[in-house]
Amino acid sequence: MMATTYPSARVFGVRVRSVTGMWFHHALVFKRTWLTAMTWYFIEPFVILVAIGVGVGTLVNDVEGVPYAQFVTPGVIVGSAMFHSIFECSWGSFFRMQKGVYETVLTAPVSVREIAMGDMSWAMTRGIITAICITAVAAALGWVNSFSGIGLLLAAAMVGVQFGAVGLIFAALAPNVHTLSLTFTVVATPLYFFSGAFFPISILPDWVEPIAWAAPLTPAVHLARGFITADLGLSHLFSALYIIGLTALLFPIAAILLRRRLVK
Amino acid sequence: MKSDGDTTVIRASNITKRFGKTTAVDGVSFEVRRGETYGLLGPNGAGKTTTMRMMSGLSPITSGKLTVAGIDVSSQPREVRNVLGVVTQQDGLDTDLTARDNLIAYGFIAGLSPAQARRRADAVLMFFNLTEKSRDEIDSLSGGMKRRLAIARSFMTEPQVVVLDEPTTGLDPQGRNRVWQELETMKEAGVTVFMSTHYMEEAAALCDRLAVMHHGKILDQGAPDELVARRAGPEVALVRVANGVRKDVVNWIENQGFNCRDAGPVITVTASNGQRPDLSGLQGVRISYRPSNLEDVFLSMTGVTLTDDE
Repeated sequence: MMATTYPSARVFGVRVRSVTGMWFHHALVFKRTWLTAMTWYFIEPFVILVAIGVGVGTLVNDVEGVPYAQFVTPGVIVGSAMFHSIFECSWGSFFRMQKGVYETVLTAPVSVREIAMGDMSWAMTRGIITAICITAVAAALGWVNSFSGIGLLLAAAMVGVQFGAVGLIFAALAPNVHTLSLTFTVVATPLYFFSGAFFPISILPDWVEPIAWAAPLTPAVHLARGFITADLGLSHLFSALYIIGLTALLFPIAAILLRRRLVK
Repeated sequence: MKSDGDTTVIRASNITKRFGKTTAVDGVSFEVRRGETYGLLGPNGAGKTTTMRMMSGLSPITSGKLTVAGIDVSSQPREVRNVLGVVTQQDGLDTDLTARDNLIAYGFIAGLSPAQARRRADAVLMFFNLTEKSRDEIDSLSGGMKRRLAIARSFMTEPQVVVLDEPTTGLDPQGRNRVWQELETMKEAGVTVFMSTHYMEEAAALCDRLAVMHHGKILDQGAPDELVARRAGPEVALVRVANGVRKDVVNWIENQGFNCRDAGPVITVTASNGQRPDLSGLQGVRISYRPSNLEDVFLSMTGVTLTDDE
């Protein structure tokens, strides 16, 4: 047989095709499942947004100078992005690991780190998709404008990558599939409700406040809200840097743990 | 990339793999020539899978040197995987994708363009007689078809060497026959195949040469016929004996220097000198003879069979 080689560009030692290849794999799956997946991408956050924004919103006055519906919109968007990315990289990645899909991918010239990057890139895409869906609804209701829309997608993308790494850490550590529910019960759900998405952090007891600010979803909610209220300051820049910093810390941990599980 | 004028494609010298204190592969050496089908024959836990995983980079080598097409597995793990097609024991198919999409996704990640991947997937599906399964869900395929699809996937990149870890384990007889047919077709196409198995029929039918593995070591290697002639002789003796004297008979046989496996209704006796075991001194038992096979080779060298649990 002829020797065939398949050169592939590298960026800082990362084989680009490995990352786009994993993304392409996920996109092929999405192409087949998007219609049912939309219930989760779209209908669930839509229900939450309208129920809380309109329902609860009629009971409460303006919060931090904006109507309640507008106050909760950024939190619902980045929160939804978080749920999607953490699900993709915990359950999704765990099953790919169990079914030997990663093992097969690794027999191509792909590294474990690149698999992690590819999965996180898809987690980001899922975050963006759900953000687009919800932002469209919020825009139709007049709660966001086009400037804030772009900002919201950016925040959702950052959250997607960040919680993709969190999900991968869980997938790599989970002894069995049941353990993965912890990603929701211990991580995602508490973060969703105590990240300032539904009420300002300032109303929490003093000693809880710093914890709430340090929680990994809080900066994203803050950043997204800054775009919605078109009131961006230094604190939003810090929020963005905090997300990037956390991701930079979590990613190598995820890659190392995954490698420990896959390459023996 | 090709070692010129040399027909050796895989060269393993003294490769060892340790997991903590256990040594899974213990200083193994072998050479595989271009176009041949080379098998590792041994029971579960012999170190076959670890050897294959070392080749595809899923297990870093502890010591020794392993090259494929002249590429060193330890120093150039990625480059090696450019010339390999690997089928792991788990088929590794994604149940979220159709049969064809599994091939396309793999082809793309391995470096083909999307158009190339689609074209190649169709060609490979046709080659393995799976075209009509293209759009099927993975879960609807039989075990044999999944295995054939996994083998088809390993062909996506036109590999120089195909690595198959126990290609028919867990398949029903029909599935096994179909996989054997495909492997035969591959062989005719001139592909170098490196496979492992614990079925002696499979090793005898498919392998040009094989290595007998046990406890991480290669005990002997050669063509199947050659190994049988050398290790088990032309025939083995089957001894039927009443339970009351069974132990005495076994002792007697072992004292003659023969290998003896006392399991089931018969005692299987092999001579290690390449002769038919001479049991003419045994009284009061029924003795019959049958032609030796690879199972007997293994038995004569290890005292256990390929299917014994240890």
